[in-house]
Amino acid sequence: MIKLIHLSKQYGNHTAINDVQLTVNAGEIFGFIGPNGAGKTTTIQIMAGLLVPTSGNVILSDVSMNDHPVKAKQLVGYIPDRPFIYEKLTGIEYLRFIGDFYHVPPSTFRARSEELLTQFSLMDRCNELIEAYSHGMKQRLIMASALLHDPPIIIVDEPMVGLDPVAIKLVRDIFQQRSAQGTTIFMSTHTLSLAEQICHRVGIIHHGQLISTGTMDELKSCAKHGTNDLEDIFIQLTYENKKEL
Amino acid sequence: MKSILTLISPRYLAIVRQGLTTRKLIGMSFFAGIGMVIWSIIFYVSYRVLTYFKHAENIGDFLSYKLLSMILLTLFSLLIFSAILTALSKLFLSNDLGLVHSLPVRSETIFIARWIESTFDSSWMMLLYTAPVFIAFGIVFDGSLLYYFLLLISLLFMSIIACGLSSLIIMPIVLILPATRIRSVFVFFGLGMFLLLYIGFRIMQPERFVNPEGFASIMLYLRSISMPSTPLIPCTWVFDTLKSSLEHLYIDAVFHISILFSFSSALICLNVIIARFIYFKGYSKSQTAQSRLIAGNNQFIYRLTNKISGPVRAVLIKEMKTFWRDQTQWSQLFLIAALIVIYLYNFSVLPFDQSPMKAHYIENVFSFLNIALAAFVMTAIGARFVFPSISHEGMSFWIIQSSPISIKTYLWIKWIGYFIPLIVLSELLIITTNILLHVNPFMKILSVITMLCITPGIVATGIGLGAAYPDFKSENPTQTVTGFGGLMYMFCSSAFFGSVVLLETGPVYIFFKSHFRFEFFSNTDIAIIILCFLLALLICVMMLYLPMRFGERRLTQTMQTISHKNGDALNLLT
Repeated sequence: MIKLIHLSKQYGNHTAINDVQLTVNAGEIFGFIGPNGAGKTTTIQIMAGLLVPTSGNVILSDVSMNDHPVKAKQLVGYIPDRPFIYEKLTGIEYLRFIGDFYHVPPSTFRARSEELLTQFSLMDRCNELIEAYSHGMKQRLIMASALLHDPPIIIVDEPMVGLDPVAIKLVRDIFQQRSAQGTTIFMSTHTLSLAEQICHRVGIIHHGQLISTGTMDELKSCAKHGTNDLEDIFIQLTYENKKEL
Repeated sequence: MKSILTLISPRYLAIVRQGLTTRKLIGMSFFAGIGMVIWSIIFYVSYRVLTYFKHAENIGDFLSYKLLSMILLTLFSLLIFSAILTALSKLFLSNDLGLVHSLPVRSETIFIARWIESTFDSSWMMLLYTAPVFIAFGIVFDGSLLYYFLLLISLLFMSIIACGLSSLIIMPIVLILPATRIRSVFVFFGLGMFLLLYIGFRIMQPERFVNPEGFASIMLYLRSISMPSTPLIPCTWVFDTLKSSLEHLYIDAVFHISILFSFSSALICLNVIIARFIYFKGYSKSQTAQSRLIAGNNQFIYRLTNKISGPVRAVLIKEMKTFWRDQTQWSQLFLIAALIVIYLYNFSVLPFDQSPMKAHYIENVFSFLNIALAAFVMTAIGARFVFPSISHEGMSFWIIQSSPISIKTYLWIKWIGYFIPLIVLSELLIITTNILLHVNPFMKILSVITMLCITPGIVATGIGLGAAYPDFKSENPTQTVTGFGGLMYMFCSSAFFGSVVLLETGPVYIFFKSHFRFEFFSNTDIAIIILCFLLALLICVMMLYLPMRFGERRLTQTMQTISHKNGDALNLLT
C-alpha cells in the first residue's frame, strides 16, 4: 500500500507539487498522468527516496519514507524513465550488484536472475558489457533488476519508453500478473491507452495538484461533455484548468 | 562560412550567457589570482635565467638560443599530444555529435567547426603559460614591438600546425581502431615517453656538470649547443622567426614566418580534403560500441567476499570492476607508477656520503621530511582516484539514491574501498624509502605510525570533498580535480598533513637532541612530546570524520538543489 500525505515540494519560489494526498491499495495498479512539468517525476522521485519533500510524508506498506528511508526503499522496485546504468558491468553483474543491495541470498539469486533474464530476453547477452546494449535492452535490464527482490511496491516512471511492441506487451502482462499477486504498482505514463488498459485507478496531476482521481468509470462520469475516452478527459481537465489558472 | 559560425555559436553563446553570480565571480577571481601568481613565477624564473646567461661571456647567447629551441620543441610536442586527445574528443566522441551530424550540413563543414574548437582548446592554456618565457626573451634581448607581433603570429601558426598534424594522424586511425582506445594508447604512449626521458635524464646525472672537472672538453660542449636544429620541423621555423626578430633581421623573420603560413595553409587544405572522404566514415565507426564478452561470471571474487554485508560487497565489487575495465583509469595508474618510480629512484641516488654534515644526522632529517613527501604523494594519488570517485557514478547515481542504503553508508563504503589500497601503498612507500635512507628504529616507527594516522584522513578528505563538489555530468570525471572542489581538496589535505608533520617536529627534535647528547628526557620534554602527539592524533581523527560529514550533507543538499535549478526533478541528473 502507498500513502501520500499532504506531499509538497518547493524549488525556491517554484512549487513542483502542492499538498498531494493519495492512497493506493495493495494489489492496485495506479496510473499517474499529467502534462509535461506537472509534477509527475517529482512525486515519483520523492516516493522512491531520491528527493526529500518540503512537507508531507510518503508511507510505503506502513513504513515512513521520512523516518525510515532505508527500510522503505527495501520495499520498492524503482524503474526510472532513462536507463542510466554502470556501463562497465555486464548484465549479470549489474543484477548481482542490485541483488547484494537488497540482500538477495546467492542461492535465490541464481534461479531468480536466470528467470528474469530469460523473461526479458537478455539471457544470451548477460555476459556482455552494458555499454554495448541498446536503449531498450538497458531499460529491460533495469526492469529485471527492479523485480529481482520481489518488491511489494513497484514505482515506475514512463515504463514503455524505448521498448519494442513485444517488450511492451511483456511489461504489461508482468504488471497485471504481479498486481494479481498483491504487488502495488504506481506508474507514471503519457501512454493513455496503456493507462486505460491496465490501471485500476488513474490520477491526473496538473500544476503540481492532483486534480482528479478515480476509476475509468468515475472519471468518465465526471467529464462535462460525456466521453468514453481518457484522452478527451485528460485534455478537458488540463485545458480547462489551464484556462482557469 | 556561415554554417561554420552557426556550428561554433552554441559554444560561444554558452560562454557569453553564463550567469555571473557574485559567488562565480569570487571563484573566477580566485583562480585568476592563482593563475597570475604562477604566470609571474614563470616570468621571474625565465628572466633570471636569461639575465644570468646574458652575463656569461661568449656562450651566453648560445645558451639562451639553445634554451629557446628546447622550449619550442617541448611546446610543439606537447601541443601535438594535447591536440590528439582534444581532437579525438571533439571530432569523434562528444555527446552532441549525433545532433550535429543530423543537421543538413556537409561533413567537412562540421569537421572545420570542430577542428577550430579543438585547436583553441588544445593550445590556449599552453600558450598562455609559455608566454612569460617568450616575453622574458623579448625583454632580455631588447626585442622591438615587431618581435612581439611575430611571436603572436608564429605561435598561432604553430598551434594550427600541431592540430592539423594531429587530425591528419587520427582520422585514418579511427577507421582501424575504436576512438576510445586510441585515446588510451596515446596517453600511454605519452606517459611512457615522459618516464623514459626522465629516467634517461636522471641516469645522465646532470648534477655532475656543476663539478668543474666535468668540463674536460669545452669545445665539444660549445659545438653541441650551437648546432642548429633540423630545418624540417615546424618549431625550427618558429625558432628562426623569433631569433631573427630578436636580432632585428626582419626580412629573415618574414621569410621564416612565410614558411609557417604556407605550411599551415597547406595543412588546413589537406585536412579538409581528407575529411571530405573519411571523417564521416570514422565518426560513424566510432559510434558503434564494441561488444565485449566478459569470461563467465567470475565467482571467485564473490566467494572471497561472501562474509561481507551485501551493500558493502555490491559497491566494492562494482568499484573494482568498473575501475579495471575503464581504460582511461589505466593511464592514471601508469602516471602514478611513474611518479613512484621517480620518487624511489631519487632516494636511491641521494649523495649523503658527499655531505659536509654527518650522514646519520642528514639521513634521519630526510626521513622526517620524507613523511611529508610521502603524504603529498598520497594526496596526489587521492586527487587522481579518490576525489573523482563520486563524480564517476555519473548519471547512474540514481541507483545509489534509490537503493536501501543511506548516503552516509555509501560514502563510508567508498572510503573503505580506497583506504585499503592506499594504506598498503603508503606503508610500502615509507618503509622502502626508510630502508634506502638507513634511518634509525625511532624514525622508522614514527614514520610508519604517522602514515597510518594520516592516510585515513587523506582518503576521507578526498571522498568527503569529492561528494561535496560532484560533477555527475562530466564526460571525464578525473578532470573534476582541476575545479574548485579539487583545489579545496589539495589545500585541505596539504594543510592537514603539513600540520601533523609540523606538530611532530618538536618531539623529533627532543628525541635527536637527547640521542646525540646521550641525555635522558626532562619532564618538560615528556610533556611536550605527549601534547604534540595527542594534538596530531586529534587532528587525524577530526580529518577522518569532518570531511565525510561535510560531504554527506553537501551531497544530499546538492541533489535537491540540482532539481531546483532545473525547475523539474525530471532533470535531476541530466
